[in-house]
Amino acid sequence: MEKSPSNNNMRWVMGIVVAVALFVLPFVLARLGRTGEYWIWVTTEMIIMALFAMSLNLILGFGGMVSFGHAAFFGAGAYTVALLMKKAGWPIYLALPAAPVVAAITAVVIGWFCVRRLGLYFAILTLAFSQLLYMVIFQWYTFTGGDDGIHGIPRPEFLTAINYYLLCLILFLICFVIMRMIVNSSFGLSIRTIRENLERAKFIGINVRRYQLINFTIAGAFAGLAGGLLTLLNRFAQTEFLHWSKSAEPILASLVGGMYSLVGPVIGSTVLMFLKIILQQLHRSMVEMWAIVLGLILLVVVLFAPGGMVELYERVFGKSES
Amino acid sequence: MTIEYFIFMLINGLSQGMLLFIIASGLSLVFGVLRVINFAHGSLYMIGAFVAFSLSTLMMGGTLYSFLVLLLVVPPILAVIGFFLEVSLFRRVYGQEHLLQLLLTYALVLILDDLVRVVWGGDPRNVARPEILAGSVDVLGLALPTYNVFVLAVGPIIALGLWFLLYRTRAGSVIRAAVSYPDTLGALGVNVSWVMTSTFMLGCWLAGLGGVLTAALANIDLGIGMEKIIECFAVVVIGGLGSVGGALLGSLIIGTGITFFQLPFGRWALVFPYALMALILVLRPWGLFGKPER
Repeated sequence: MEKSPSNNNMRWVMGIVVAVALFVLPFVLARLGRTGEYWIWVTTEMIIMALFAMSLNLILGFGGMVSFGHAAFFGAGAYTVALLMKKAGWPIYLALPAAPVVAAITAVVIGWFCVRRLGLYFAILTLAFSQLLYMVIFQWYTFTGGDDGIHGIPRPEFLTAINYYLLCLILFLICFVIMRMIVNSSFGLSIRTIRENLERAKFIGINVRRYQLINFTIAGAFAGLAGGLLTLLNRFAQTEFLHWSKSAEPILASLVGGMYSLVGPVIGSTVLMFLKIILQQLHRSMVEMWAIVLGLILLVVVLFAPGGMVELYERVFGKSES
Repeated sequence: MTIEYFIFMLINGLSQGMLLFIIASGLSLVFGVLRVINFAHGSLYMIGAFVAFSLSTLMMGGTLYSFLVLLLVVPPILAVIGFFLEVSLFRRVYGQEHLLQLLLTYALVLILDDLVRVVWGGDPRNVARPEILAGSVDVLGLALPTYNVFVLAVGPIIALGLWFLLYRTRAGSVIRAAVSYPDTLGALGVNVSWVMTSTFMLGCWLAGLGGVLTAALANIDLGIGMEKIIECFAVVVIGGLGSVGGALLGSLIIGTGITFFQLPFGRWALVFPYALMALILVLRPWGLFGKPER
């Protein structure tokens, strides 16, 4: 993973340029009238879904744990914000931080069982638990509103579309920096060691299960924050947030973008959402075809470029990692 | 609860279970030989149901004759679809990471489900039952819906057929050998890739049969594939991945379980399969019938 200093500096410059551009973007979009407003909303959603994808990649790409139930924590965060703000009347500055906390608690409980299983069994167990949570929220009409979801969640006045975009962006950048620190810490290296060789990791004294559980919980917390943010954007929470097809979204984003880097899932998620909207704009009937297009993209990636776009980029430009 | 009511519920639950078995056994069989969990199995089942609907409309269905034609024609159609899928796609990911295999089949879910929507639209459909299966039969003074009894009878026939195929024919011993020792089997001169293709076709055939039976049982819509595949996961996990006998037991447990839990718990009974699935995975991940991972 050694990087030449100039290469590293380039990355920092690139990162700062992109960040500044993202801060300026909503003010430019705001001048475009109604389409601008629409695009502010879309980019906010892109940022949130990128955070969701990035959170999954902590366990998927860096940890090598295929979770098919990550939506459980996304949904836990979403419903936490929805219930606290709508039913308990909590203010946003308490309800939003509660989302990652509740999601993390959910992740500890579910993860405690799941990390006892490896590979395929881990994947199916995460799926089973997330479906369990989905069914509970689906059936518990009096508390969660069942398949109607929870609507009309109040959002404070000062959070206009632009301000909310900025809030999400700032939180996203903070999370990005935190995840970067996690991934590059000794903890992150241990997690990668486990991914590469579980037996050897055990042998050199890494407590595999505990490390995986901590990683699972951290990922769950970030997913919960993303869920809470999306609830506030839409002003509703619905059972679909926990459905297993929602768990697949960040996996697809990670795969398309590239699993073995932090920005890969961000790129993947954004590219996929962008593509979907472009198709919608091209022709109304294309909305119906979106799943087919997405499926075909996925097939191509699985069969021909399992490393995703980041790897393709590195292959084309000869910047091979490791 | 009177004894009559109990029997009524039991028959109902068992027939639900049998239907589930027909679909889930295909999933289990395919996993056993190919080591791929096929998310698209539910989509293939749904295609079977919709093809049955179209053929039935074409034949002005509702007669016994047309229903038999559906039972004979639709499953092979699915087997042919399966042939093309296996040869063109599945074959490329054997032995690769689980993630890539799962995502390949998930890509197929996205494509196939959307194709169904494009071709058949979102309206609920069904297939008219032939007159002979439409009413109710008297069993011990109980009026039971004939169709449920019919499904209840088809299930064991399929189970017996699979058992006979797997344990009493040469093809079956080859399939079982492919589950346990694929390399040795290849070294013995058996064309393993053909074994895999035909097993996959058999799995799709079962999905198709389940589709036909469902289309005449209840309304079918775009959600049934996604719904059923998760139920099948539960069945296969409970019984043990790759075990057909386990799939039978798992299906019956889930079918009767949901039916009986509906009495005290109402809609909450639907939580039961997932709770049981999680419990089994935690306590005994190889399932009730499976063997611990090699």
